[in-house]
Amino acid sequence: MKDIIRAALAVLIASALLIWANAELGKTSGKAGADTITVYNWGEYIDPDLLKQFTEETGIRVVYETFDSNEAMMTKIQQGGTSYDVAVPSEYMIEKMRENNLLIPLDHSKLPNLKHIDPYFLDLPFDPDNEYSIPFFWGTLGIVFNPELLGGQYDFSSWDDLWDPALRQKVILVDSAREVVGMGLNILGYSLNSTDRRELDEASAKLSELAPNVKAIIGDEITQMMQRNEASVALTWSGQAADMMSENDSLDYAVPEEGSNLWFDNMVIPKTAANIDGAHKFINFMLDPEVAAQNADYVGYSTPNKDALGLMDPEVVNDERFYPDEETREHLEVYRDLGPEMLGIYNERFLKFKMEMN
Amino acid sequence: MGKTAKGQKLFLGLVFLILYAPIFFLIFYSFNSGGTMSSFESFTWEHYAAVFEDTRLIMIVFNTVIVALLSSLLATTIGVLGALAIVYLKNRKLRNTLLSLNNVLIVSPDVIIGASFLILFTSLGVKLGFTSVLVSHIAFSVPIVVLMVLPKLLEMSDSLIDAARDLGASGKDVLTRVIIPYIKPGIFAGFFLALTYSLDDFAVTFFVTGNGFSTLSVEIYSMARTGVTLTINALSGLLFIVTVGLVLGYYALNRRGKTPITGVKR
Repeated sequence: MKDIIRAALAVLIASALLIWANAELGKTSGKAGADTITVYNWGEYIDPDLLKQFTEETGIRVVYETFDSNEAMMTKIQQGGTSYDVAVPSEYMIEKMRENNLLIPLDHSKLPNLKHIDPYFLDLPFDPDNEYSIPFFWGTLGIVFNPELLGGQYDFSSWDDLWDPALRQKVILVDSAREVVGMGLNILGYSLNSTDRRELDEASAKLSELAPNVKAIIGDEITQMMQRNEASVALTWSGQAADMMSENDSLDYAVPEEGSNLWFDNMVIPKTAANIDGAHKFINFMLDPEVAAQNADYVGYSTPNKDALGLMDPEVVNDERFYPDEETREHLEVYRDLGPEMLGIYNERFLKFKMEMN
Repeated sequence: MGKTAKGQKLFLGLVFLILYAPIFFLIFYSFNSGGTMSSFESFTWEHYAAVFEDTRLIMIVFNTVIVALLSSLLATTIGVLGALAIVYLKNRKLRNTLLSLNNVLIVSPDVIIGASFLILFTSLGVKLGFTSVLVSHIAFSVPIVVLMVLPKLLEMSDSLIDAARDLGASGKDVLTRVIIPYIKPGIFAGFFLALTYSLDDFAVTFFVTGNGFSTLSVEIYSMARTGVTLTINALSGLLFIVTVGLVLGYYALNRRGKTPITGVKR
């Protein structure tokens, strides 16, 4: 009996020590007792130094939490239980959250730094007048490829290149219904947000011609496969492409001219917010050109902050692949929330396409 | 005879190789200066330095350990009492029902336990964070402890208790000096099993974390979205060494307790 009590005491003492150590660590990372905000963001989507800088400037401590999918984030916010003050959902999710009354309108008078954002990225259909959201990062959907492995004969300026019979069993697609079906719609010149059955039928037929070329439909593994030269061409987002290219110099990225998807991750204040004033301060802080430049440099995605561009490496900013000119941008389209019924149809088409692969 | 022994050893060696190879592969690349797991460039400590510089990551590791220690301690206490209650129940039917209910909790999927806890906590208005994680970890650990303690209790002969009673032991004496020492191995086994369950649980924890509180498995899952960085390798390497240390320590303690020379009976 004695040794059991002793063991239990040892466990309690160890826990107490760890709790004390944690409290000490917490003190060094921010002033304890000062007011706090909880930021809910994608993993690896902010430079940790900026969080410290924010605390130093405003005295507000940042509790930082990460999520890995829009859906997981929405579930947590919907359930309540956590007072998230700032979250960073993608554009289609903002429409959905707005419909579910999960967002608090922004007070633009508290966001003077909004003037630094390129007007091109403001007042978009998913959130007119930016009532609820401010763009954080943006990017495109395109094709990442390895010219060395492909013998340099493709530039993927057109989706048609993917359909070339010479690419048999070479193409990798991202495992996502909207993206793949959207590609089928884009090559035919239709809208990414098409709800027309006939157009979708045509896109499906076009996609089945692509089936023999598809090597795999996968998720995050694309990054490693491209980096290790295990694959030569893949459909992916510009942010992921930038990650791959930083590790493998021979990779290139292109957005086909017929058109493609333009995506945004945006800062919002969810209904769960406990410190709305602090949340506005945080958003305003992230809109500061110097801060935005530092963060874009750290994360490697494209910033919508036009005044930050001047503070960044000109080589990055002038890279047409990640900061396309206005002419290219005109062909890009933002996803709209099509509702569960239409989404079901997209998923069904995608599933059908997957089955045709075998 | 000699031949089969050799074959057995070979098989055992192979199984261990397969089980341990991924861990060593991971640790090997934690020393890679190349930044990816594809090619080994040169030896570096930088990823280990990165682990110690990231205060948030270290706090998460500590949180994970605190939750594991406290939840297994409480779960062991509750579980031992529960096992005692189940064994000494007079009503057979009730006893079997309780046992089955206990077993259902062990086999039911973590996802369902996690989701139901999330709904329970939010409907009760409990803030997600340390408490919610601790409570849910206790909840899924209790059935495991019961399962580990129960066989020990069942194998104990009733005559031991009768003898103790005959010699004038009170109810409390019987419990603390006869039953608990007898089932001690089961208690420790239950505690350590609960500890490992709590340390590596992802599914339940994923649902009930919030307000900036997170555990290691949940955090690594979020980080892996942009590809696993070698910091994770380094962290895994450190945890592996700590685990090996704990296991060795446990054996050393056990050994000492059993040698007759130092054997002062406690």
